[in-house]
Amino acid sequence: MSPMNRRSFLVGSVLFAGGAALAGCTSDPLNKNAGSVAGAKVTLQQWYHAYGESGTQQAVQRYAQEFTKANPDIAINVSWIAGDYETKLNSAMLTAEAPDLFELGDFRYQNVKNGLLAPLDDIVGPVKGDFSQAALDTVTVDGKIYGVKMIDDVMMLFYRKSALQAAGVQPPQTFAELLEATKKLNTGKQKGLYVGTDGVGEAATLLLWSSGADFFDSSGKKISFAAPEAVAAIAGLKQLHDSGGLLQGYPTDWSDPGAFANGATAMQWGGLWSLPDIKKSLADDFGVVAWPKFGDSGKQVARVGGWYQLANAKSKNLEAAKKFINWLWIQQADLQKEWCVKYGFHIPARKEVAAQTTEFSTGAAKEAVTISQSNGHSYSGLWNKASATLFLQAATKIANGQADPAAELGDAAKKAQAEVDKQLA
Amino acid sequence: MTATIEAPPATAAAPKTRRKRRDWRAIGAFAVLTGPMVIGLGLFKYVAIGWSFLLSFNDARGTISLGHWTGLTNYVFLLEDDAFRTSLTTIALFTVFIVPITFVASLALAVLINSIRRGRAFFRTVFLVPAAVSYVVAALVWKMALFNGLPSGVANVIGGLFGADPVPWLSQQNPPVYWVAVVTLRLWLQVGLYMILFLAGLQAISPTLYEAGELDGTSKWQAFRYITLPQLRNTSVAVLLLILIAAFQAFDEFYNLFSTGLAGTSTAPVKPPLVYLYDSALGDQNYGVGSAGAFVLTVIIIVITLLQGRIVGFGKKD
Repeated sequence: MSPMNRRSFLVGSVLFAGGAALAGCTSDPLNKNAGSVAGAKVTLQQWYHAYGESGTQQAVQRYAQEFTKANPDIAINVSWIAGDYETKLNSAMLTAEAPDLFELGDFRYQNVKNGLLAPLDDIVGPVKGDFSQAALDTVTVDGKIYGVKMIDDVMMLFYRKSALQAAGVQPPQTFAELLEATKKLNTGKQKGLYVGTDGVGEAATLLLWSSGADFFDSSGKKISFAAPEAVAAIAGLKQLHDSGGLLQGYPTDWSDPGAFANGATAMQWGGLWSLPDIKKSLADDFGVVAWPKFGDSGKQVARVGGWYQLANAKSKNLEAAKKFINWLWIQQADLQKEWCVKYGFHIPARKEVAAQTTEFSTGAAKEAVTISQSNGHSYSGLWNKASATLFLQAATKIANGQADPAAELGDAAKKAQAEVDKQLA
Repeated sequence: MTATIEAPPATAAAPKTRRKRRDWRAIGAFAVLTGPMVIGLGLFKYVAIGWSFLLSFNDARGTISLGHWTGLTNYVFLLEDDAFRTSLTTIALFTVFIVPITFVASLALAVLINSIRRGRAFFRTVFLVPAAVSYVVAALVWKMALFNGLPSGVANVIGGLFGADPVPWLSQQNPPVYWVAVVTLRLWLQVGLYMILFLAGLQAISPTLYEAGELDGTSKWQAFRYITLPQLRNTSVAVLLLILIAAFQAFDEFYNLFSTGLAGTSTAPVKPPLVYLYDSALGDQNYGVGSAGAFVLTVIIIVITLLQGRIVGFGKKD
């Protein structure tokens, strides 16, 4: 190689490496200023989990742009986070990349305790009566309100009317009927029941609630999921697994209507949000029912979740973030209504908006509202990811017959209690 | 830049008198060239490692700042936790299986490809290409297409040809068929890479050795056993070490095969230590336990690597 060649090679490589470094190390790796508008003094970072329905991401971006139109000083950059949203959010909250405002499905007391959330009383206060008491209680800590409920999501059992008719079974009201239906509805090609790709999903939680037990006892601070009636109910998971009718390993999880809409299962635990998609595939050949009751002292249950809009207490632009929350989730009733019915279905959290929404007056949607009112059950704010992991691990072992239910749940309860005590300390 | 190139290399060829004087230009160039790397490593690796070490002695829930000194509590918690101990057993079993299989498969492929005369480049490329695929992408293909629980999943279709019933490959635990997915995925991704390392080693063996062997009438097996294998010793030791460390650090395929959207890996049938630690630190926000676990794992890897070095003689001269 001649010296000239070597030199030009070196210059070339330096240019290439430099270019690569510049491209890789831009000062804006998350594309944070993508949403900024010329003239905006402040750009807020907002996080959403990835909603499954098409058009949702464009919708929230449009809401942000409309806000900026009305408030040219404040631009908003929306991040759409796929996968394990809460884990990603939790780690981001400890860094300088933390969003200024974000949504969260299950409200966690520990976020308040760790000083991550800003109180939003000045926003919610004036319209307090417009929210359900439950939606307020969940986010109230020491008299302060830390979140604005955006939407209520009810989760329930979807069943295929024609399949049940063909098998000669009724929509299940008790666990025994559910087990029977799961077996009878299994045709090989179409399985009986789908609760999640891992065969557990929320079924362990539902079995627990449907036995009349709960994660916490009446004091709200002592773990009680290892009580005898709870153990008996959660052991039911193994019966479902042994029935041969439980669908497992479907590529999409329970939160997606895929397995049910494509005919891979005759019954599926799912969310109200899937209703429009299911209607598109199955027309009127489906119905909804709460999770059946377990045992004589049990009750039918449905999970009521939903999403809260929260503000980061450490945000440098807290006032701007609060202004946006107030604008979108309190003032813009039309946008709230659109968000609740145009993509997936959600029950508007505000009574005033719900009253204007006609989509829930007939059919399965109406049924869903009734179920949420009479069977709805929610997580306690003290129930955190660490406890949930312990509970679900135990449930998975029980489902697969790898552990004695009482011993396994007892052990998990002891460890979960330690987690709860740490939060309350 | 030009200055660096034109500076005389500090070799024995340089006059002795100059060697004693400090060559400031060379030192300056050395500093300029290595500086960014050293500073980067120091700041982003060693400071972080040191901080993590301190965190492992703190009660750090929902925070990464120090201040709640708890001594060895986190370490005690981990070693008393069945889930963590199970994860260590899991990874040990996984390693015992995957290391020899990967080693033998990549060596066999390398020998085969080295022995053919036509299409060597083609086969080399075919086997290497999977190494360029990301674990995440491959895990999704395995999970969604090959090993899903539907009768139409590839693995179930193949099983159906032999009269087997459809199986939920990734969640069934009796028998634990999910290992089939985990092991085949890792083999598919890794074998090609180690095969290339072996090929390089094979091509460095002097043909005269084989010619001498042929003159003495060695069989093919004898040539492999007494020429190829000993000549490959250094390559083999390096490859073994790499496979072993990679096995102990397994995370991606376990996380991506067994995580279920919003719930993460709570219901995974197996968790290797790194997934356990990911869940503790990032999921449960318990950074103290997460850090402590990282150091436990590091110590284990170091000990095993040293032992292995002792046994197979890494770094010894031929």
